[in-house]
Amino acid sequence: MFKLNFKIALRNLWKHKAYTFINIIGLSIGLASCMLIFIFIHYQLSFDMGFKNKDRIYRVVTNWKYSNYNDFSKGVPVPLIAAVRNEFASLEKVAAIIKRGGIIRIKDDAGRDIIKTREVVYYTEPDYFDIFDMSWIFGKPRQALSQPNTVVLSETIAIKFFGSPEKAIGKSILYGDNINLKVTGVFKDMPQNSSSPLDIVISYQTFNSKKYTNWDSVSSETECYVLLKDGVSLADLQITLAQFNKKYYQNKNIQGNQNNTFQELKDIHFNEHYGNFAGTTITKKEIYGLVTIGLFLILTACINFINLATAQSVSRSKEVGVRKVMGSKRKQLILQFLTETFIVTLVAMLIACVFTELVLPDMQNLFKKQVSFSLFGHPVIFVFMIVLTILVSFLAGFYPAMVMSGFSPALAIKNKVVANAGGLNLRKALVIVQFSITIILIIGTLVIMEQMQFLRQKPLGFNTDAVAMVNVPGSSYDQKKYNTFKQKVLQIPGVEMLSFCQNAPLSDEITTSGFNYNDRKNNDFEIRISKADENYFNLFDLKFIAGKVFLKSDTISGWVVNETFLKKMNISDPQDVIGKMLNAINGNGANIPIVGVVKDFNDKSLKEDISPLAIYAEKSEYYKAAIKIDSKQLLPAMKKIEHLWNNTFPDNVYNASFVRDNINNYYKDEYVMGILFRASTGVIIFISFIGLFGLISFVATQRTKEIAIRKVLGASTLELVKMLNGSFLLMVFFANLVASPLAYIFVSKWLSGFAYRIELDIWPFVLAMLISMLITLITVSIRSYKSAIATMIDTLKYE
Amino acid sequence: MIELKNIEKYYANKGVKSYILRHVTTSIKQGEFVSIMGPSGAGKSTLLNILGMLEEPTYGQYEFMGEDVVSLNERKRIELYRNHIGFVFQAYHLIDEMTVAENIEAPLLYKKVPGSERKSRVADILDRFNMVAKSDLFPNQLSGGQQQLVGIARALVAQPSIILADEPTGNLQSAQALQIMDLFKKLNEEEGITIVQVTHSEVNAAYGSRILHLLDGVIKEDVTVQQTV
Repeated sequence: MFKLNFKIALRNLWKHKAYTFINIIGLSIGLASCMLIFIFIHYQLSFDMGFKNKDRIYRVVTNWKYSNYNDFSKGVPVPLIAAVRNEFASLEKVAAIIKRGGIIRIKDDAGRDIIKTREVVYYTEPDYFDIFDMSWIFGKPRQALSQPNTVVLSETIAIKFFGSPEKAIGKSILYGDNINLKVTGVFKDMPQNSSSPLDIVISYQTFNSKKYTNWDSVSSETECYVLLKDGVSLADLQITLAQFNKKYYQNKNIQGNQNNTFQELKDIHFNEHYGNFAGTTITKKEIYGLVTIGLFLILTACINFINLATAQSVSRSKEVGVRKVMGSKRKQLILQFLTETFIVTLVAMLIACVFTELVLPDMQNLFKKQVSFSLFGHPVIFVFMIVLTILVSFLAGFYPAMVMSGFSPALAIKNKVVANAGGLNLRKALVIVQFSITIILIIGTLVIMEQMQFLRQKPLGFNTDAVAMVNVPGSSYDQKKYNTFKQKVLQIPGVEMLSFCQNAPLSDEITTSGFNYNDRKNNDFEIRISKADENYFNLFDLKFIAGKVFLKSDTISGWVVNETFLKKMNISDPQDVIGKMLNAINGNGANIPIVGVVKDFNDKSLKEDISPLAIYAEKSEYYKAAIKIDSKQLLPAMKKIEHLWNNTFPDNVYNASFVRDNINNYYKDEYVMGILFRASTGVIIFISFIGLFGLISFVATQRTKEIAIRKVLGASTLELVKMLNGSFLLMVFFANLVASPLAYIFVSKWLSGFAYRIELDIWPFVLAMLISMLITLITVSIRSYKSAIATMIDTLKYE
Repeated sequence: MIELKNIEKYYANKGVKSYILRHVTTSIKQGEFVSIMGPSGAGKSTLLNILGMLEEPTYGQYEFMGEDVVSLNERKRIELYRNHIGFVFQAYHLIDEMTVAENIEAPLLYKKVPGSERKSRVADILDRFNMVAKSDLFPNQLSGGQQQLVGIARALVAQPSIILADEPTGNLQSAQALQIMDLFKKLNEEEGITIVQVTHSEVNAAYGSRILHLLDGVIKEDVTVQQTV
């Protein structure tokens, strides 16, 4: 029976080649998009899930509550680590891990550098490897890092440094200026889906933890992981945790009601408040967004299928009638139609695999990670494909099968079946759903594009053109060379100005501090502190509204604050603050006069408001040299700067970037989102209009007789096309009415994530309506014109 | 009003021409009531379709009210439908989704007759056909004879000068058939509407004034009927 069904199914599909083609193409594109989304989400959800103890691992994090905002850090104060070890009896292991970066050098026997490179390194304790199980090629986790001045490397790094893991063991590497490390172990590379991707790990004893005793100083680069004892739950720790926080935060000088909490390992990849070493977080919101888009895609593809299949059903009525007369049960008919759907879905799935493989490299590019997304990399993906095929077969095939198998044999055999009006209404409803989805996505895409355009074009309040940020080494020996370096750089043709500073005006490396103003302590907010020399303001074209720049100095001699600071302090006349004393407690602890006020500029990405800001000079804390270059001589000048830099700081590694590029990097997520939206909108528009074409074909076939009669009565082609199009335009118009309010809710929610955003006006909605109506008109007209000009005399002959 | 000269119609299939009509030459004058008769496959319906411009002859000349139809473009042809020709079909061919009144109104819409006039003309014709009570019913709520009456009413409402009827009574019981034929005769005699009908029935043919006998695509006989009824 199945074999026969299969054969008949194939013949039927072949007979209606056009329908089959439309069905398969629409479905396979939908399936391919779904699979891409699944592969991506599966990868995201697999983060940190490869560890044996994954359910018992927690990270200690730090939280602050200020009067008008909360702050979070994934880091902990260094003394906390020992305290946690002492206070919590139900923890099996506690381990600190500290991220640093520095120059690594490997010397040959003669003492010459073979390799000189800037690398990220981690300090950690042997316990870390009891918490996170890793596989080792050489060395034992407990012993390898038990001594000071030892280091373990990942396989890749060992090969990069020494050629092979074997050769690496026992060798020494130089970290920074004077730390000699002996390689005592090599571990297998950590998987890409890891929030703490370790490559070079130095023993914790090498790290001078003794000098950190301050509970008030929290660096986000100092993390603490704990392993709960078997059978202990987080709830069991809450009482001890409350006592712990009470005991260690008695000091009134510690601001913002600082306290520590535990964060589950599986939350680390998804919590944007805390972040992680790998710098990869994706919020659950984004994941849900993608899942929604995936469901939309499958839904639209299934709706297509249902519409096309029921449309076709009339032409199958005779077959159904004959089969019933011959004694076929309804169940058998349903089975036969489902077989057909299954075959179509299966073929579509195979084509979808090809599409997926073709698009995977682009997706990898889009996410800019060295992630090998692969179709066959994981058995789960295969399972997903099977489940998807079966699900779609049922979802898409069941309704048409029920309709077709339900035909009354007496009518069916006389070909008298007209797809009942109820069926058509259901199909219309489905099309409206489909188009509402399409229109929501069109509106979303338009708004995202408009907002991105706005972000790119909004003036930030400072000059971003042709300014390069070059790193400068911070050791006291190197600091002595700053002046000569500056002199020489300024002699390079094309270089206009140079300023030493901590960061460009817009940056997400933020230091904040509490402060005293006029000897009164402020408890309402903290100010952002930035360090720069006197040329900074001129170079970045920051405008003064009162006072002037502090005098040239290597240490603090005066503050420059911004307008927002005045607003937050309720000072209306900028002249008022000139000469007033400011003391940023975490800065340097001295009363220093304010000498100038600059006009507000955006110091953070446009997602956030401008912070109250104070700038002063501090030579020992400049990390960067901002160099303004004549844009016509940009590239040659940059080459010369690099050469000069390498001669001036031979022990360090050069690193440069342009301010404009750095700023654009802050909108990477939005950029990716924009592309995702555009791609899925494109796909859904395509699928929807394929479906529309199918439906108009059906309607046109169904109304052939009516069209013929009307023609005989004197209707012109144009009038017939208008008649056929009318109901479709009405449907799409209705879909617009449904979609617009929903889209409004979505996009205004998305926009509210930006401090600086476009005014949401009526245009995206109107434009989406015009686009959808226009495409509908074109799609439908193609088919209805064909019907209207067809010679239809045959249909008017005897029935 | 109608001049046919050497009308031929054939379908070429694999080089073999199968003729439907051969050398059909005739003319039909204003006010005539012509019946086209002949066995199945003689080409009766095809001839009627050619007369109604629903099909084009493969070869030959066809003049309708002095105009050469074969060379007309679609727009002109539609003008002719709208103003001069009414069709009546064996299977009625009413639009199922429209009520009786709406069906009758349809041709007037395409003639761009203004709304108020449309209403009065539809009301008029419903009255004449004694169907006022049924004006809001749908075709499937009517008997076959009633449906055909609506079909004729629809053909008449545009005030055509010729009605082309393809076996108008073929689907009807004899009593209803007689009623329809009486109506045709009345229309022909009282309003001078030219009628061309295709029929199998001698009885029906006897209502007309002239009979064209068709056999294998050729006019065998062209007789004038002695009015007996």
